[in-house]
Amino acid sequence: MRKLCRKSVLAKWALAGAATLALAACGGAVDETQSGDGEGAIELAEYPDRPYWGDTHLHTDNSVDAFGFGVRLGPEDALKFARGDEVTATTGAQAKLARPLDFLVIADHSDGLGATRRLYDAPRLGVQAMGDETMLRWYDMMHESPQQSQRAIGELIAAAASGDLPEAMSDPEASKEATKEIWETHLDTLDRYNEPGVFTAFGGFEYSLMPGGNNLHRVVMFRDGSDRTKQVLPYPGLSTSPEGLWDYMDGYAEATGGEALAIPHNSNLSNGDMFELTMPDGGPMTAEYARKRARSEPVVEVTQIKGDSETHPFLSPNDEMAGFGVKGWELGNLPLSAKTSNDMLAGNYVRSALKRGISLEEKLGVNPYAFGVIGSTDSHTSLATGDEDNFFGKHTGNEPSVEDRSTAGQNLGTRVGRFGWHYLAGGYAAAWARGNTRAEIFDAFKRREVYATTGPRMTVRLFAGFDFSEEDWDGDWVKRGYNNGVPMGGKLVDKKQAPTFLISALKDPDGANLDRVQIIKGWVDQFDVVREKVYDVVWSDMEGERALQGNRVPKVGDTVNREDASYTNTIGAPELRATWTDPDYKWGQKQAFYYVRVLEIPTPRWTLFDAKRFGITLSPAAMADAVAQERAYSSPVWLTIEPEPEEADSGNDPDAPAIMDKNTDA
Amino acid sequence: MWLKEPLVHFLIGGALIYTLFAWRGEPVDPASRTIEISRSDRAQLSLGFERMMGRSPTDGELDRQVDRFVREEVLYREALRLGLDGNDGVVRRRLSQKMDLLAAAQAETVQPSDPTLQAWYKAHPERFTDTSRYTLDQAFKSEMGQAKAQIAQLNSMAARDDWKALSEPISLPASVSQVPRKEVLDRFGEQFLAEIDALKPDEEWQGPVRSGFGFHAVRLLRRDVGEVPPFEDVRGKVENDWRTATIAERKERGYAILREAYTVEIAE
Repeated sequence: MRKLCRKSVLAKWALAGAATLALAACGGAVDETQSGDGEGAIELAEYPDRPYWGDTHLHTDNSVDAFGFGVRLGPEDALKFARGDEVTATTGAQAKLARPLDFLVIADHSDGLGATRRLYDAPRLGVQAMGDETMLRWYDMMHESPQQSQRAIGELIAAAASGDLPEAMSDPEASKEATKEIWETHLDTLDRYNEPGVFTAFGGFEYSLMPGGNNLHRVVMFRDGSDRTKQVLPYPGLSTSPEGLWDYMDGYAEATGGEALAIPHNSNLSNGDMFELTMPDGGPMTAEYARKRARSEPVVEVTQIKGDSETHPFLSPNDEMAGFGVKGWELGNLPLSAKTSNDMLAGNYVRSALKRGISLEEKLGVNPYAFGVIGSTDSHTSLATGDEDNFFGKHTGNEPSVEDRSTAGQNLGTRVGRFGWHYLAGGYAAAWARGNTRAEIFDAFKRREVYATTGPRMTVRLFAGFDFSEEDWDGDWVKRGYNNGVPMGGKLVDKKQAPTFLISALKDPDGANLDRVQIIKGWVDQFDVVREKVYDVVWSDMEGERALQGNRVPKVGDTVNREDASYTNTIGAPELRATWTDPDYKWGQKQAFYYVRVLEIPTPRWTLFDAKRFGITLSPAAMADAVAQERAYSSPVWLTIEPEPEEADSGNDPDAPAIMDKNTDA
Repeated sequence: MWLKEPLVHFLIGGALIYTLFAWRGEPVDPASRTIEISRSDRAQLSLGFERMMGRSPTDGELDRQVDRFVREEVLYREALRLGLDGNDGVVRRRLSQKMDLLAAAQAETVQPSDPTLQAWYKAHPERFTDTSRYTLDQAFKSEMGQAKAQIAQLNSMAARDDWKALSEPISLPASVSQVPRKEVLDRFGEQFLAEIDALKPDEEWQGPVRSGFGFHAVRLLRRDVGEVPPFEDVRGKVENDWRTATIAERKERGYAILREAYTVEIAE
């Protein structure tokens, strides 16, 4: 399509202009610290002293679907918005983050990077001349109205899912020239906004593999600046395999000396395919596959706009707090072309994947699913909004000006019961790093010292060891945590003694108080049965009105005013801390993991803010779900029976700060 | 005076040529029926393949690339010959965007002189100002009454006493030194920052300062209001800012020049 319009005389000039433009950007005013990985660029803290907040999953108008959904903001606006500048959203509203983010991964789909935009921009008869009726129909729909445009993209996603994309879109050869231009311009833009110590802009893309509509998407994130990332192009998702992606990442590392990692997401829409017990072809999983997967994918995105993937009530019947962000999404795969049955759920959710991981480790000697967790938005508006009161919608068709967005059916599976209110406001990723640079934040991801929230910025610490006590809180407990234990994401070798944890959860300074802190333990018992248990570790007012009743923690209460979409912090606690020792530890249990879940007091969801803002009445079903307890999930700590045979298998980053290396075999 | 701008000649010339072709259709001449694929075109196709696949194409693969290129070129030329690109809303929009791009292109490539940038720097100091930095101690109480009592107690303490022991336990730093404004916002929240900004730096404990956590006795030792760094230190930033602003301005100016030549009549 691109070539059809390029040879007009004027267009040729314009193109020459664009080429010099790209050159200018290369030779522009970007200094070396901005275009590299940021090592040595700033002074680092002694150990990770604060969480850095980011979104690793943002789409801009370079994404086929985002553009079709209507967004006209590009990467530059996305970066400006994330670092705290005011921008004008596509629908005209002024938008600014009250608290800027520290880092951002723009993850536009590698398939047809910029393709919808090029289709939209092409002359109609040019599209006609291509002789592809589908393309022409989508083209017409995109130009007819925003609503039709969204339908076209719905069809496009469905076609991608069923492998029926027109050749012009699916064939990487056909679009590589355009891809290269977009990619390189994009990388230059990232470097310009990347400011070590202030704001980190990561190179990345989304790998959108979706066989039969089962979502196997990954976000790929690079540690490096454009000097290295320009040596490759984003890897296409359609008609490839995750192993191909990992090979591509290994190839990148080998050729450039850089590093990349992949973050699976929306496992909840994979119909069991994301975290299988077998190889993708159904054969028994090999140690080689498991090792490669663990090395390439140290972190999984557990919560985002299209639902939460921690666990499902079917999988965790004894977990009263299971099922957050599950409604609607549990019905089927991404385009709802196939329904989800109960036997698929274990491959859909993160907690069951962690359990599968330790059970596979018993057999293979290596854990394919030894991953940490983060949250992100997956916003398609170029705006990384994660809070309930600033939700800009999944895509531009859903920005706040659309008054019935909470009740309207969605393009992805409307007919079978997914509605606007099923969308979450989106989560954020927190990384424990020693400073805000590409290298430091990336390395935190590699060693899994990261956690997920459903939007609020709680500060969550977790250390595991064998000699922690209540007295540790009196001194510099963080330093003690690092010196005498492992932080979240780490591995502890079993010493025939129950592990002890230092856990601290501090509320979002501008958010809701905390209800409780829980530990979720998964383990393989001495009879090789994989089990899970949820422990209430510490909660607000636990020695007063909320003293244990039998084994149950009384509910925290609910201060949400439904008419006013408001709540008060008259219940809950600003911080919850505990030293906790596993009461059920028995020598003879096999591999185990422990992670922390922090719950806020109930607060209004974005749907309730919408109802107030636009004066609309929510449907009874939406109203019943209009208040929720937002949460944070830490990355797990693993309790392993024996030291790993090889350092390379541990998934730990060899470049991790020394203070943590020392602890891996503590 | 704008008529002397080379940019304007460029824009007007381009518009004329485009209009001519768009309305008349490209005349058929024998030369337009020849498609030349030079060695460098082939090399380009081959390089494109290599970039994606990480290896050189085989002869067969390269031939397919060439076939595809030829097919597109043939159809494209025929479409132009038939005037298919005229009267198309998208062509209109796309070309107008390209005009904008052209207007911007010069600003993208030009190397601004130091005097230009220095003038820009002097005209917009607020854009290059460093962040304010804070040095403070804080002791926390969850209740207002206790916080007030704590302030009195802190102010009567001897310097060597351990003031940190008076704070209720909370995972916030008791002291921060020269931290940027954003870090105070991230750690203590919006309300705390707003109240701190209303205080004068002093050796005495002040407050209670409210935050989302509760109440803080605060000893605001220093607040270094961000200053404008010397030009040399921010030259890169100034250049980026100048370029972004100049591009926007050029687009508007380019349009204004062209617009001036038109009379627009809108029917009531």
